[in-house]
Amino acid sequence: MEEPEYADLTCTACGRTAEHELRHVGRLLATTTCTACGHVVEVVPRSMLTGYLHDLEHRVTSKPVRMARRARRDPLRFVRELPGALLRQPGKLLDELGTLIRGR
Amino acid sequence: MLLAAGTGSRTGHRTNKVFLPLAGRRVFVWTLDATAADPAIGPVVLVVRADEVEAARAVLAREAPRRDVRVVVGGASRHASEWAAVQELLPSIEQGEVDVVLIHDAARPLSGPGLFRDVAAAARQHGGAVPGRRQPGLLHRDGLAVRAGEAVGVQTPQGFTARELVAAYRAAADAGFEGSDTAASIERFAPQVRICNVPGSSTNIKITYAEDLFLAEALLARSSFDVRRLGPGAAGGS
Ligand SMILES: [Zn+2]
Repeated sequence: MEEPEYADLTCTACGRTAEHELRHVGRLLATTTCTACGHVVEVVPRSMLTGYLHDLEHRVTSKPVRMARRARRDPLRFVRELPGALLRQPGKLLDELGTLIRGR
Repeated sequence: MLLAAGTGSRTGHRTNKVFLPLAGRRVFVWTLDATAADPAIGPVVLVVRADEVEAARAVLAREAPRRDVRVVVGGASRHASEWAAVQELLPSIEQGEVDVVLIHDAARPLSGPGLFRDVAAAARQHGGAVPGRRQPGLLHRDGLAVRAGEAVGVQTPQGFTARELVAAYRAAADAGFEGSDTAASIERFAPQVRICNVPGSSTNIKITYAEDLFLAEALLARSSFDVRRLGPGAAGGS
């Protein structure tokens, strides 16, 4: 995961306007944590993955549509067979996908 | 004018929420985008805190290089920030190049271009226009005070004829009055201006709650949206 950002938001659990820790995966928001009460909001993994692949479609310039289509049909296989040559930062992307899929 | 100076603490490492990344761009760049569809809208004045001017210019250069946006430093209150933006627009208003001023929360990235057009048209016709989720129609003057504010579904952009707005702000400055929003100053110092209520949009949310960020991101990226709320400390491992 990338470095978190912090912003003042209102918490639906404790009602306070407090600093929230925001974590992104790639360009997409993954979780928010209220630093006042610990309340966490996260995207349900499945839709996050779809969103992430949609995002990936725009970030990877070569053959993006075909790649993303394949990824949507079979995400895990897509990750295993991810064509490294297409990716400028293969380690980073695999890491991000791993975060999304692992243990969820 | 896009107001970004109003909210958030100046302390620490916190990011003003309008500078947060959302579906690949900063929140206020999405907000700015809604003004781009109509060439009749402009110039755009972005009001930020003094310590955010450089950051705002950098984001604009990167994410909206072709937009002509004037960045001005806001004041301690919303009223002062609006006045700072009005002063920036003053020469254009006095020359008749700007006939209506639209005031919008930069933390509302989902207003869409249609609402800007509706508000501008209604303000031009009636003098003032405020979007809300009530039925369209003219508000009663004495009802306005109750209706101003988020609790009753009043949204932005709010529009006012430029000359009346300037006159109201000058009168407010002379009287040492600071209204909670533009409508309050207009109501008090330009009572002849009729403020029309135009239908707001159900997705025109002001980023306030953490969940709003997820919703806004999903709507802007047009992806599916589903969040779950977990108990304290549950973020831990992932
Ligand atoms: Zn909380």
